[in-house]
Amino acid sequence: MSPRQWAKDLALGARFAVSGGREGWVRMTLTAVGVGLGVALLLLCTALPNVFAARAKVEDARFDYAYSAKTPPKADNTFLIAATDTTWHDDDIRGRLVEPEGERAPLPPGVGSFPGKGEMVVSPALRDLLASDDAELLRQRLPYTITGTIGESGLIGSHELAYYAGASGLKLTDVSPVHRLTEYGKPDAKPEKTDPVLLLMVLVVFVVLLTPVAVFIAAAVRFGGERRDRRLAALRLVGSDSHMTRRIAAGEALAGAVLGLVVGTGFFLLGRQTLGSTEVLGVSVWPGYLDPSPTLAALVAVAVPVAAVLVTLLAMRGVVVEPLGVVRAARQRRRRLWWRLLPPLAGLAMLYPMIGKGRGNGDFNKYLVTGGVLLLLIGITALLPWVVDAVVVRLGKGALSWQLAVRRLQLSSGTAARMVNGIAVAVAGAIALQMLFTGTQSQYTKATGEDPARVQMQVEFSDRKPLSGVEREFTGAKGVRAAVNLANLQYGDARRDPENSNGLTVGDCTALRELATLPSCKDGDVFVTRTRSHYGTPSNADEIALVKPGRRLYIDPSYGGDTTERGIEALWTVPANVRVVEARKDSLQNYNGLLVTPAALPAKAAPALFSEGVYVRLDPSVPDSREYARNVAARIDPLAGTYSWSATQENEKYTSIRTGLYVGSAFVLALIGASLLVSQLEQLRERRKLLSALVAFGARRRTLSLSVLWQTALPVGLGLLLATTVGVTLGSVLLKMTRTPVAMDWASVLTMTGVGAAVVAVVTLLSLPPLLRMMRPEGLRTE
Amino acid sequence: MTTSPPGSLLTAHDLRKAYGPTHALDGAEFSIHPGEIVAIMGPSGSGKSTLLHCLAGIVPPDSGSITYNGRELTTMSDARRSALRRSEFGFVFQFGQLVPELTCVENVALPLRLNGTSRKDAEKAALTWMERLEVDDLKAKRPGEVSGGQGQRVAVARALVTGPRLLFADEPTGALDSSNGERVMELLTEAARSTNAAVVLVTHETRVAAYSDREVVVRDGKSRDMERAV
Repeated sequence: MSPRQWAKDLALGARFAVSGGREGWVRMTLTAVGVGLGVALLLLCTALPNVFAARAKVEDARFDYAYSAKTPPKADNTFLIAATDTTWHDDDIRGRLVEPEGERAPLPPGVGSFPGKGEMVVSPALRDLLASDDAELLRQRLPYTITGTIGESGLIGSHELAYYAGASGLKLTDVSPVHRLTEYGKPDAKPEKTDPVLLLMVLVVFVVLLTPVAVFIAAAVRFGGERRDRRLAALRLVGSDSHMTRRIAAGEALAGAVLGLVVGTGFFLLGRQTLGSTEVLGVSVWPGYLDPSPTLAALVAVAVPVAAVLVTLLAMRGVVVEPLGVVRAARQRRRRLWWRLLPPLAGLAMLYPMIGKGRGNGDFNKYLVTGGVLLLLIGITALLPWVVDAVVVRLGKGALSWQLAVRRLQLSSGTAARMVNGIAVAVAGAIALQMLFTGTQSQYTKATGEDPARVQMQVEFSDRKPLSGVEREFTGAKGVRAAVNLANLQYGDARRDPENSNGLTVGDCTALRELATLPSCKDGDVFVTRTRSHYGTPSNADEIALVKPGRRLYIDPSYGGDTTERGIEALWTVPANVRVVEARKDSLQNYNGLLVTPAALPAKAAPALFSEGVYVRLDPSVPDSREYARNVAARIDPLAGTYSWSATQENEKYTSIRTGLYVGSAFVLALIGASLLVSQLEQLRERRKLLSALVAFGARRRTLSLSVLWQTALPVGLGLLLATTVGVTLGSVLLKMTRTPVAMDWASVLTMTGVGAAVVAVVTLLSLPPLLRMMRPEGLRTE
Repeated sequence: MTTSPPGSLLTAHDLRKAYGPTHALDGAEFSIHPGEIVAIMGPSGSGKSTLLHCLAGIVPPDSGSITYNGRELTTMSDARRSALRRSEFGFVFQFGQLVPELTCVENVALPLRLNGTSRKDAEKAALTWMERLEVDDLKAKRPGEVSGGQGQRVAVARALVTGPRLLFADEPTGALDSSNGERVMELLTEAARSTNAAVVLVTHETRVAAYSDREVVVRDGKSRDMERAV
């Protein structure tokens, strides 16, 4: 067979595809839309490396933190900058106070001119947010006049909330978050080394999400296949041989795939614009970031049509097209198990050498990981027809609806398995990933020691605030139930360079009770906390011995001779009523030391008492209580940092990968659902006349609907069972590769299979109205 | 409403049915007696199949009346008409419309199973009819594995298995060659006569119509009774 003849036949098929009248166009459109959806998703994936690179580039370009301890002297090219990041509800807002010190001070990326004092330039999203009716509290927090907009080059996404506010008189001290810089940008920006296990997760997420897309595309090129077979029978009648017929069929699929590429590019461009103006799970991008990598895009452009031709040729193996307008399925060969087991076994073999590798032995081999996971998942599509075949052939006889369904499955289990392939692959991948995520979660989540039931927010000031007054500001605010304010300083046994020194915490009785169990307390009392070692034995006997009643000590002693760190050096005699108390296990501070109420200190010590932060207890019944507290903090100190307490903290990259998986899964499941619906409707359309004939016999619609339901439920059930087996196997292997103990997370397995089943249930529900319409006896009409 | 001819099993009067602008039936009349075989003839698109579908209660007419055994079909609910079709009517279509995934014996047993007969009894009765129609050797085969003529005989067996009082056959030999067609017609009419079932036979072939007792010609949606000169 010459390549020329091949090309001629393919071209003939392509011509048939576009000249088949209304029917032909419907089929072409279905195929093109199906392939197009898959192609759009693939192109989106090819653009992801660029998205990450572009976002990182902007992050690096606007970097404004001084690593070096050496601050440059004030000059006409320097500027002072301080981070004033805040949070509005759950959205982070990147904020900066900026003060140019000379005419040549560089502008932040994306900013046209420096905002003056009391002015700010904002991102478009923050401008919209501030203009909205429900952002009154945020307007109070950012009381600046908007004078400009930050451009794309200064933002990592279209929905990023950011501002630069003008400032004057920013103080550069050792403890303040103000930096003096001469330029923006990260010096020697090097890509951060990513944990090998996280890299493994990224790889697996990609394979798991893209394999169902490939399966979907393979299914899409076969949309309307039965009708096409009848057309091919007519071609046989006019002299086309069987090989030629197959090539013509492949040509038809090729035309659909090529049109799908065009449609997919259109979908992608539309999606690119849409994604540029939306935010998914807190992540937004600019349309310009979504540029597919040329090599990967070219690969998609070649792979999709080639796959379409191969899939069609493969599918046609089981069909005998006869000239007399009759298409009979070739007598089904018995499906053999041995070769179907090869892909998953080969996949396991590829992953096997990496078992026990863990994160300490460099990166996982990405080719082996990709190949192994891919083969295991593709193995489902090879095994599922055999499983469906093997099971349905053994199914007993039952009610008529059951019998109709079982017989239909026995006759064409391949079609049923094909319908379920995508969902089974997606569920298997999701189970494996969920196992990997759950198994490794503890490695990427650390306990913070914070108890959010006790304190909901912590405020850290940029400089020293007087102890008294700050607390009242908070407790007087709406939504704040209590505020704990503590001052920490040092005391020693000498005025200067003491031999023995320790920490001292000053606070009122309510505040001190957050640190230790106090039997009774009144202003003027002093306590020394007993700390215990890991084994429960007292570990600070020296400290307790130092604060003997009547002993003369010095509060805020000086260190470093005459030149540096001059303290207040206030003389203090330890009162007679000093009591030893037990520190609370859940103390707000790691170290408590001596606990002193304000009246117990000499007046000379007062200037040393300042607050570095406040612990805030909120009233959950007041809406926006957090926002009220943040506003108080910003009013007291615009550079104050506010942090919500949480019991655990997740690794950011780990969280991003998981977020990516959820976003991707949503897209893939929607795609698979759409594919299932189209296949289901197509099958129903093919059987329209038969369904009408059965209704003519008096068959109840309930019987026929139930039979359709069984026809879907049986392969779906088997598919999900196989998916669970493969998913659990893959998950266990991945856990073993990361040296994580294998534990079954049945809740996630049930959730994943439940989601898969739910997609099928929704599709079945959606296909019921057309099914009922098709069961009308009018379907018998031919004219 | 006109009165039915005395002793008639099914009577239709002034039937009208339109599909969009096309008037498929335009005042058609019809009647059939028990055990009678009536051929409905006419060119393609004349409305013969629509008349058959209306008579069988598959498609409701826009107006007119259809009386079966004293009961008005046009006012019956869809469920009651379906029950009537299950229990008292039988159907043969041009392409058999056998369920491809069921074996031949399961196809023949299908109407009985729809009526609630157990699988075993249904298949036993089905086999009896398949023997009468000389296709019992095909019982385990699927429709895709048998010839057109064999399939059509299976379809006839399926139509007769419930012991219907009225059999509707829409171009039953339309897809068969002449010898196969004749054999199917012989078996169909023999079986119908042996059970005293009336047959409404839609055809455009005079050769097939020759098996009937009477012919009704439909043209432009109107019917005309043709007495056969015997």
